[in-house]
Amino acid sequence: MADLILENLRKSFGSEEVIHGIDMSVSSGEFCVFVGPSGCGKSTLLRMIAGLEDITGGEVRIDGKTVNHIPAAQRGLAMVFQSYALYPHMSVRQNMSFGLENLRMTRPEIAGRVDEAARMLQIEALLERKPGQLSGGQRQRVAIGRAVVREPTIFLFDEPLSNLDAELRVTMRAEIADLHSRLGNTMIYVTHDQVEAMTMADKIAVLRDGIMEQFGAPLELFNLPQNRFVAGFIGSPSMNFLAGEVRAGQVALKNGAMLPLDGRFMVSEGQTIELGIRAGDLTLGSGQGVDVEISSVEQLGAESYLYCRSTLGEQITLHESGQTRARRGEKVSLRIDPDSMHLFDLQSGRSCRTG
Amino acid sequence: MTALWTFLSRTQGRNRLTWVDWVSYGYLAFGFLLIFLPVCWIVLNSLKTPSQLEQQDISLLPGEYRQVARATVYGPDGRSIFIIENLPDWVLNWRTMNEEDRADQDVEGLLNGFRGDSHYALRSALGQVPLKARSLISERRLPQWLLRYPALSASAKAEFDAAGAIAGLAEEEQRLLAEFLGLDPYQANKLISQVLVSAIHPETGERTAFAVPRFDPSKPTLPARLVDNSSDRVFKIETATAHAERRIQPAFSNFIEPLAGRARAVTVNFTRCFTNSLLVTVIATIITLAINSMAAFALSKYRFRGQTFFFVFILATLMVPPTITLVGVFKAIHATGLSGSIWGVIIPGAATPAGVFLLRQYMLTIPDELLEAARMDAASEWKIYWRIMLPLALPALAALGILSIVWRWNDLILPMVAIATTKDAYTIQLCLLEFRGEHLSREHFRLAMTVFSLIPTTLVFVFLQKYITTGIANTGLK
Repeated sequence: MADLILENLRKSFGSEEVIHGIDMSVSSGEFCVFVGPSGCGKSTLLRMIAGLEDITGGEVRIDGKTVNHIPAAQRGLAMVFQSYALYPHMSVRQNMSFGLENLRMTRPEIAGRVDEAARMLQIEALLERKPGQLSGGQRQRVAIGRAVVREPTIFLFDEPLSNLDAELRVTMRAEIADLHSRLGNTMIYVTHDQVEAMTMADKIAVLRDGIMEQFGAPLELFNLPQNRFVAGFIGSPSMNFLAGEVRAGQVALKNGAMLPLDGRFMVSEGQTIELGIRAGDLTLGSGQGVDVEISSVEQLGAESYLYCRSTLGEQITLHESGQTRARRGEKVSLRIDPDSMHLFDLQSGRSCRTG
Repeated sequence: MTALWTFLSRTQGRNRLTWVDWVSYGYLAFGFLLIFLPVCWIVLNSLKTPSQLEQQDISLLPGEYRQVARATVYGPDGRSIFIIENLPDWVLNWRTMNEEDRADQDVEGLLNGFRGDSHYALRSALGQVPLKARSLISERRLPQWLLRYPALSASAKAEFDAAGAIAGLAEEEQRLLAEFLGLDPYQANKLISQVLVSAIHPETGERTAFAVPRFDPSKPTLPARLVDNSSDRVFKIETATAHAERRIQPAFSNFIEPLAGRARAVTVNFTRCFTNSLLVTVIATIITLAINSMAAFALSKYRFRGQTFFFVFILATLMVPPTITLVGVFKAIHATGLSGSIWGVIIPGAATPAGVFLLRQYMLTIPDELLEAARMDAASEWKIYWRIMLPLALPALAALGILSIVWRWNDLILPMVAIATTKDAYTIQLCLLEFRGEHLSREHFRLAMTVFSLIPTTLVFVFLQKYITTGIANTGLK
């Protein structure tokens, strides 16, 4: 168990900088998720922590010790790869023992640890098989098992669930979370799936283009996104954005609706803004609303989604619990709950919230 | 066996054979025969006796026609040619036999069984004339120059009166010495083997036994002599009516003699050459695989300055024909003192650019993530190479191994350059070359040993190709 500190971490490939100085502190035992669209540098960042990529600038500190120049083999971390990277010519047992053999551990001790990890991950029956004879989920468990036996200070997961089918992904997600609570190790988990991030993380780091957009607890990111990108990325379905400006102390949306402003936001008269509102914070109704036409309806039984288009062509999604009577092509008015709205500056994308 | 049959009797879907099946099986059979027939042919040829090979008998099966001997004897009445029947095999094979086998035969007993011209012919053919003549000369205290006389030049012979020197002896003794000295009208008697055929006598029309020099079915007629010596004439018999009896008799001695080191007139030790070749092949292949795989590992999986340069440089050496570097290689081998030892063959051929290229291309397909996983597993770079890279590159290693073994085993040029001066270090290919002497051709040994030298490469291929398939089947990555 160890805490991890990144300080102004930078990475360049040739002349192109891909990680632009990241500061972060993960305390011991935390489950931290790096999330972001593909190409945002989250995997690179993880590999820099692992020691598989050189560090161009800044520092990685594990337990207060700078590890920039310590090779991957000696950092005492364990990593689960996206492709699992199981050694295809070794049996499951050999796969799990390999790392321990390299640490010159005694045979009985290796066997003990492997058996224990296998029991925990329920892969005891597979120990003598080759990876080629395993299903995707089983390989995933073996890959995790290989990391677990090392008893590393920090676990690193590089999109471990992306090769699994949807159902298995949910199961494995729960298992990894369960594993974390049992082992209590620090874990760093990379994913592009914000649902995974929301469900598993103690802390989420949202990355985009090599910059950390926001770092915090899942609900903090959900409730108080610091910018438009985080607001749009976190939460499903995505937040709705409507263009507008501040006029006479009110938010005047381009599509005509006016909303009252309160002290939570710091805006100036005439500032062009974007209003963000989550699908669940919209209600069907009349007055003070946005006039839209329903372009499609998704009935899921326990909940419904209405996909609407405003008169200006903006896409708006509305969530209703239960079943809806709204029909496709119907013209309705959406009421925006002013208490739940977010305001972002149109140019910088920053949240206009105070504090 | 059942598995093989299931494989071979497979059809395309339905139970009936479709035309695609016919074509496939036809092609399979054609390819099989195309490869297999020449191999069968050389194996069968290697079992032919020297005389069968000398006669350029192209029949597929090893075995000889029944033979008789045709004797040419020179005497006071001039030359007479006749046939001797029913001689034991060893008399006809005398010329190709080694000393030990000759010593085993009862020459004296055989000679005593014949009288007259037959006796003289056999005495010459079995090499008894010089022996008997020498003992006679010393027994009768005849002048010593008689021993040298047969080897003298014509002008030197004129200084001696050979006929006078032997004049006082008995008739038989005179004849022996006259044959030995080559005094007129005596010349060396000849005994050559002929094929016994039975054919229609051109004059009497009866089936009669004839002796022909060569049984060549492609000729319409054969020149033949009567076996019963009832006529001196040479008859022309119709090939179509002729029938020669053949005994199937593989000459395993072609293999046994050189392997046991008993081959006559062969100056190299075949088993030693075989061991040398085995050592060269095994050591050189191991070194080749080790060096090439390390180079390929570095070139495929590490990023370093000059990586492309080195790779292109290594590949560029592929484009230099080996014959061009031959003199340089020779000088290098000589300068390093490797000349004349098998290391002179092993070391220059150890690193092959083709091997580096082959392994590198294969290693590129091994995912980097496996190496990274091993690094995370605290493996040293050496351990990654040894425990991860080599096992995963096994198919390519097996392929290169087969190639390397075949290259080393069949290599002739490098051994000629490096070890041609030392017979103890000869490899098998040099040894095979030695069987074709300048004066004496040992074609039967050469064929047999060629077949024998094919065995190791064949075995290697049979075993390693299994590794190739398992190696590929093992790739369980996603």
